[in-house]
This record gives sequence, structure tokens and C-alpha cells, in this order.
Amino acid sequence: MVTQKSLFSWVLERCRGLQLLLIVMILFTVFFRVFPLEMQKRIVNVAIRSRDINALLTYCGLYISAVVTAGILKYVINVVQGYIGQKILYEMRDQLYAHILSLPLSFFRRTSPGLVISSLTSELSGPGDFLGSALAVPIINLLTLIMFVGYMIYLNPLLAVLSFAMYPLEILIIPVLQKRYNKLNQDRINVTRGMSNAIGEAISGMHEIHGNASYPIENRKLDGFGSKLFALRHRMNKNKYMVKFINNFFQSLGPFILFLVGGYLSIRGRLDLGALVAFLSAYEKLYDPWKELMDYYQDFQDSRVRYYQVMNYFDYSPEFQLKPDEAREPYLLKGKIEINDLDFVADGNNRILDRVSLGLQPGEQLGVVGLSGSGKSTLAMVIGQLYSYTRGHVLVDGMELKTLTKLDVSHNMGYVAQHPFIFDDSIKENILYSRKSLSLSGHDEGLPSRDEILRVIDEVGLTEDILRFGLNSVLERKVQIVLARKIVGIREEFYRRWGTQLVDDVEFFDVKRFLHYTNIAENISFGYPNRADCELEQLPSNRLFRRFLDEVGLTLPLLDLGQQLAKETVSLLEDIQDDQFFFEMSPIARDELEVYSAIVELLSKGGGEHLGRKEQDAILKLALRFTSSRHKMAALPSSLEMQIIEARRLFFERFAAEDPGAFIFYHPDDYLYTHSLMDNILFGHLKADRPRATEEIQNHVVNLLHEQHLFAEVMEVGLSFQVGSKGDRLSGGQKQKIALARVLLKQPRILILDEATASLDNRSQTRIQELIKTELKGKSTLIAVVHRLELVKDYDQIIVMKAGKIVEMGQYEELLTRKGLFYELARGS
Amino acid sequence: MSSPVDHDQTCSASEQSGRCELETNLDVLRKIPVFSGIPLQRLKLYAYLCKRARYGAGEFIFRQGDPDDRGYVLLSGRAQIVREYEDHSVFLNELHTGEFFGGLALLSDIKRLFSVKAATDIDCLTLDRESFRKMLIQFPEVGIKVLDLMIRRVVHMEEKLMRKHIHECIYG
Repeated sequence: MVTQKSLFSWVLERCRGLQLLLIVMILFTVFFRVFPLEMQKRIVNVAIRSRDINALLTYCGLYISAVVTAGILKYVINVVQGYIGQKILYEMRDQLYAHILSLPLSFFRRTSPGLVISSLTSELSGPGDFLGSALAVPIINLLTLIMFVGYMIYLNPLLAVLSFAMYPLEILIIPVLQKRYNKLNQDRINVTRGMSNAIGEAISGMHEIHGNASYPIENRKLDGFGSKLFALRHRMNKNKYMVKFINNFFQSLGPFILFLVGGYLSIRGRLDLGALVAFLSAYEKLYDPWKELMDYYQDFQDSRVRYYQVMNYFDYSPEFQLKPDEAREPYLLKGKIEINDLDFVADGNNRILDRVSLGLQPGEQLGVVGLSGSGKSTLAMVIGQLYSYTRGHVLVDGMELKTLTKLDVSHNMGYVAQHPFIFDDSIKENILYSRKSLSLSGHDEGLPSRDEILRVIDEVGLTEDILRFGLNSVLERKVQIVLARKIVGIREEFYRRWGTQLVDDVEFFDVKRFLHYTNIAENISFGYPNRADCELEQLPSNRLFRRFLDEVGLTLPLLDLGQQLAKETVSLLEDIQDDQFFFEMSPIARDELEVYSAIVELLSKGGGEHLGRKEQDAILKLALRFTSSRHKMAALPSSLEMQIIEARRLFFERFAAEDPGAFIFYHPDDYLYTHSLMDNILFGHLKADRPRATEEIQNHVVNLLHEQHLFAEVMEVGLSFQVGSKGDRLSGGQKQKIALARVLLKQPRILILDEATASLDNRSQTRIQELIKTELKGKSTLIAVVHRLELVKDYDQIIVMKAGKIVEMGQYEELLTRKGLFYELARGS
Repeated sequence: MSSPVDHDQTCSASEQSGRCELETNLDVLRKIPVFSGIPLQRLKLYAYLCKRARYGAGEFIFRQGDPDDRGYVLLSGRAQIVREYEDHSVFLNELHTGEFFGGLALLSDIKRLFSVKAATDIDCLTLDRESFRKMLIQFPEVGIKVLDLMIRRVVHMEEKLMRKHIHECIYG
């Protein structure tokens, strides 16, 4: 298991070839480091003394080439070292993450996401950097050190011994200090973990904090960790720099002794000057490898502490084997389930399941009911192999569930939780999640076809939602050209059939009419921008556009409108800035409110003339965004509407002449890439205030799409709808339907639904119920935990649970006539 | 917060077009007892969150037994409250311009106890539950007032119902 590897095993097992190369290069570098010293000596002693220019040139040449070679080698060594370190870190992270993912659910109950994140990112990166240099640095520096020492002994044994006398002392003192540092470092990691827990908790509970305005409480929590961390860090620094100080101090003692003794010997003529110079250089050079060794030592200690702290934390075994040991296909189960005297004990003595026994033939349907806290969900999770069990047996097709691998289980079981998790991706990816996982395991027929996906979507009742997402989608320019063309193709047909009858309910794009469902910018251009500098947000600073506004006399009325909007919106929303909800009908976005508040302040002081250019542009932008059906805080005078309609022709002429290609004008034969698919079919916008008409038109559109064989393509667009973080942009019901589709798509032999339809409206719930009764009957063994008892009417078996025990068992009518707990529950609900 | 005084005239009322939607919504809400106690600055937000809806004569605004999440104010036209039984319907009451109905849906996710049918073409102002709840969270002190009045309305209706059925209850 990855968590039991020692720090150095990573170095010894990975990148062996590169490591060998590294060592060879190191040997060369060491040689090239000492070689210049000898040259130095020879330059002084031989070349200068004998006034031999040729010798001087030769030695100097050798000197410089040695220095350059050593430098280049050092560069290559650094690069290789870095590569090895990052490579090891990369593998270490991958392996550790894979291990963490396989840990039991109970582990994650007590582990916050923040802790896992900081462990995998910041805490591991230190050891990673270290591991790259784990071999090279000590070897290179020890060798250099030995070479220098040897060379110095060769120069003068007495001086050498004297100048090294201090080192043993240092070697005694420093580890003591380091030990203290390590202890502090451990504490630091623990405090940091506490801190990331606190932050993680605060962020997931943000609504509670805002609701209670409990900012001080949370601040105080963090402050507790912060101050501890501060104190620890400070003490760690003191320790670290003390080590450095001691090191430096001993280092500077060396030259002192050298000058004293060496000088004396030199004066007495017992040491030649060249040797003294070489000796001094050698001693100076000694400093670098020694310092690097010290740094290495500190790094090593720090990494060791971090590494083991991380690894020990995650040092648990997975509850279940992930894959079978031998190479075999996953089992194909029939779905027979037998449970004998099953116990589940949590936290040592909390008995959640108490001698539960039951049996299910393949294809049978079991309803699990009971009061909350009776162990229903736990039973479902145990059968779904999400929890392991303490005592008793769960036999699936006669095999003990505990011994089946995750691969076997995922191929045969589907589990839907009450609050399923939706990933931040498209609906399609979310629905394909289970099938993708199967196909990645290599034992599956691959991904389902579009028809298969659409069928399942229809089964769970998602079709309407997805269709709506599709119709509301804005197609991507240059990417979805083919579909866009097809949509334009049905536009005429739609208008021919329903156009006249829908005049009241659709605002068709008519060049002679003001468009209330379209913003002012597009109302003026009667087209949409084709270039970034013509986008609405950039228009106020577009010279041609501004000149045009002046020419048609629209600048002043629009600035008036903008001011009006700014004033009204700021006064309306300034007290409720914390909730995005209130900004959906506002021309000012939430993060812009501050800017516009400041502008309104300026306006109230001195009127519009006092605004700078930037403020004027911001005001104009607001006016251009104004969409009269949406932004209720202002109304356009009809004269202005007329003026805008009249300006369109001139706008078209101006831009066609001076900047063709800046805008694409609305035309019945062109797709409008700024509008939704629905708008494009209608070549207009659905008026929002006729609920019945909306339904009716949608039906027309759906019929037409079916007729023209475009339905599946629009659904495909809807499937690519991005659901947002945790599925934020979906309703609770939609999330459950997606989770159901996800599981149904893999047609599991055993289906476990843990209140999986609780968030659905009645109609959808009935639909799923119908599906269970007909489609799934006999195909999948079903275990359904339900709250509403009428859902289990037709099930083969119902168990009623209380305090972890099965208290009643039988079929619906049978249980009712028994007048026990089931009867009471039925009456109560 | 800017001073509430100078905001009585809300929006860009220009000579031709008259007033903006927010302003007209505000006027409507001000006349409805449930909302009348709300300070103007806050009531404006309710007006801001309201939406318009149109129904043709004969269309149902909502049906008995259906879930719905909106409260309605009739802006123009007439509507009928109908109680539907398996084989017949009973006409209960007629709604007139300016009346607030269906407000219970703002409080909780309930099913409609009766249907409302447009007698003529009608215009409504609607407020949905999410908006109502968001306001409740933002301004609890205002929300409590509204809740109070709404609950009084419910009690009042129950009382009326009881009185109507009292003779049946004695024997039933």
C-alpha cells in the first residue's frame, strides 16, 4: 500500500537510469571542482615563479575550461534532479489519490475535504522537491568535501587538522536543535489541518453563517488557529536561523586559525605562499558543500516529517477489494439476495442494524419502510456495498457480499441516494457517469448510443426538462453551423402554420416594430455583433457607434435612460447585495453595484454634466442593456421607441458603408447566434406573460421538430447543458432524475433506491413507479427505501423497520390487516 | 440607504409612455390589505419581483389539486372560483379587479383547494414562492407583518367555512 512506503523507497525505485546518469555526472563535477585548485597552485608556484608565459597560458586555459565544464555539469544535474523530483511527486500524488479514493466512506465522515486537499497539494510538494535531490546532493557534496579535505591534507596535514577541529562539535549540536524543529513542524501540520477543517466547514455552511450573521464566531475560530500557527512558525524560524548562525560561526573560525597558523608557518618559511593561497581557496570552497549538506539535512528532516504525517493519516485499508486478483470477467449476477442475522455497529457500540434477515429471489421487489433513524438507509447502503458489515451474512447469488470486488458490484448493482451527487459538467456527462466507469474498466460494450440515452431520459421523465434546456440554448457560432442551418430551415414552416394565430403571444422580429424582449443595443442595430469591439459591453467606446448615436440624436435620451436606470436600480437593490437572486431582473450585475452606486452619488451631487468619460460610458452601457420586458424600473417613452425604429435604416447604411462585417443583421434566412434556439425557430421571442400560450407553442415546436427529424438533435443540445457546481442550476427533482437515469442506463441486476424519488413531483413519481412496475419487474431485483407507503403497494415484499430490527414483513394488504406498525404508519401519513 | 422621501416618484415617467411597470405594480400592491402595511421602500422590491400574466376567457389560472407556487392579483377582468367534484363543479365566488387570491401557495408547497377560471380575458400580477421567501429572509421584520395578515385571512376564511357548515357538523 502506498501509505506504507518509506520516503527513500521512492528514490530507490523510480527513474533508476536517470539516477545512475546523475551519479556519473556528479563524479565528474567533483573532479572539475578540485582541479582548478591545483591549477591555482601551479600558476603561482610554477608559472609565475619561473616567469614562464607558456605555462601560465596553459594553466589558465585548463583552469577556465574546468570551471566552465563544472558549471555546465551543475546545470544539467539541476535539471535532471528537478525532473526526477517532479516525476516522483507526480506518481506519489496519483498513487496516494487513488488510495484515498478507495478508503471507506466512514473515513470521509471524519476527514474534511480541506485536509485531503492540503495534504495532496502543499504538504506533499516539499517532499517531492526534496526527493529529486535526495541522492545527488549528499553524494556530490560529501565527495566534494572529501576531495577538498584530502587535498588540504595533501597540502599541509597540520593546518588541515586544525581547520577541521571545529566540525565534530557542530555535528553534535545541530541534531539537537533539529529535533526541536521537527517537533514544532509536526505541530504546525496538525494546526494547519485544523485550520483547513475550520475553513472548509465555514464554506460549506456559508448560508448558516450569513443567516445568523455569525461572522465573529467563525473569525474567532480561525483566529485561534492563526495565532497558534503564528507562534509555531516564529519558534520554528528561531530554531532554523539558530542552526544557520551556529554553522556560520564555525565556518568563520576556520580562516582565523588559518591566518594565524598559516601566516606563522609562512613567515618561518615552512609553508610556501602558493600552498597558503590554495589552502585558503580550498577552505573557502569547503563552505559551499558544507552549507549544502546542512540545508539538505534540514530539508530532509522537514520532508520526512511532512511525508510521514501525510502517509500516516491515510494509512487505512480499503474495505473492499477493487479488482479481482486473478484475471477474470466480472461476475454476471442473477440478483438473488439472502441476508442472515446481519448486524451493523457504528462507533463501537451504536447498533444500527440488529439481526436483520430476509431473502429475495432474482427480480423480486422489496420495499423498506419505517420511522426515520430505524436503519432503512443503512440497510440499503450495506446491500449496495457502501458500508461493510460487522456480523452476519449478505449473500448475493450465494456469494458473500464482502468478498466481492468493487468491479463485480459496479457491474451488477445500481444505487441511487436520496441526495445524489451531480458533478460540475454537462447533463450528458452526468448521465453517462456510471457507464463510462464500466467501459473504463474494460469489461463493457462501450458507451450507449444516443437513442439509448434518450430512451432512459424519457423513462425517468427528463425529456421535457432537457428539451427546454435545448430550446433555451444559444448555439455556438462557427461550431454548430449545420444544426443552425436546419433550424433556419423550419422557421418558415413554423410561421406558415402558426404565425398569424400567434401574433399576440410571440414578438416576431419585425424591422418596423420596437422589440420589448430585446435590449436597446440590438433594437438599434437590428442585428448582432460579429466582432468583439461591437459587443454591447464595448459599444460605448466604439467611435463609429458613438458618432452614429450623435447623428440620430439618441445620445442624450439614452444617457437620460441610463441615469434613470442607475438611480432606480441602486436605490432598489443596495440593501440586498448579498443575494444573486434579486439581480436576475436588474440591468446592473451584482458585482457592478458598487461602481454604479458611486456614479449615482456623483449624479445626486451635480447632475449628468459632472460625469467623466468613464462614467458616461458606464451609464450608456446600462441604457443599451435595457430590455423593457425585463427591467421594470424604467419605461421608454413611445417617442423614443419610434426614434429607435427610425434609426435602424441609417444604422444599416452607416455600418454597411464604413464597417461592413461589424454586425450581422436580422434576416429571416440567417441564424441569430445571440438568440436562443427557440427564438430562432420563431424568428421572434415568446412573450413571457401568457403561461398557456407558452405551453401551446412549445407543443407546436416539439411536433415540428419531430416531423423534421430534428428532435434528437435539439435534445443533444439540451444534454450539453452545464449543470453548475454540484448541479446548482438544476432543481432537486431534476437532480434525482439524472441520478436515476445514470443508474438505469447500466441496467443493473440489483437496483437500490434510497428514497430516490422523494424530491419528485407527483406526476414524475407516478411515472417512475410505473416504470418499476412494468419495465423493471422481473429484470432487476429492487430494494427501495420509501417514505410514502402507497409507493410499495405492488411490491413482492415489504419490511417494516424499527430501531434496527425488522418488526413486520409481508405484502401491502397483509400488513394493513395486521394493524401493526405498518398500519399506524399508513394512517399517519 | 438613500433617503426614502425623494423616491416617491419611482421611475422615468416620461410624458408619452406614462409609468414604468414597477410603479404600476406598486400602486396595485399598495391597495391590497396583506401588503399595505409594508414600508414603501420594501414594497417596491415586491413590486420589482412581481410578474405579469394574461389569460384568455375560459382558461384556468390554476386547477384544483394542482401544485402551484404563485399568488395572484387580478388587474383587469373577472374570474370565477370553482370547486370541482367528480361529476360536477360548484361555482363558489367571483373575483374582481384588484383582488388577491391563491396566496396560500406563497406560504407552502400545497395543492390547490379550488380552481380559478377566467370569465373574461384577464390580466394578473403574480408573485412566486421563491421571491416571497427570499424577501422573508432578507427582511424578517416586514415578512412577519405579511405573514400575520395572511394567517388572519386564512383564519377568517376558516371561520366563515365553519359558520356555513355548522348545522351539518352537529349532526354529521
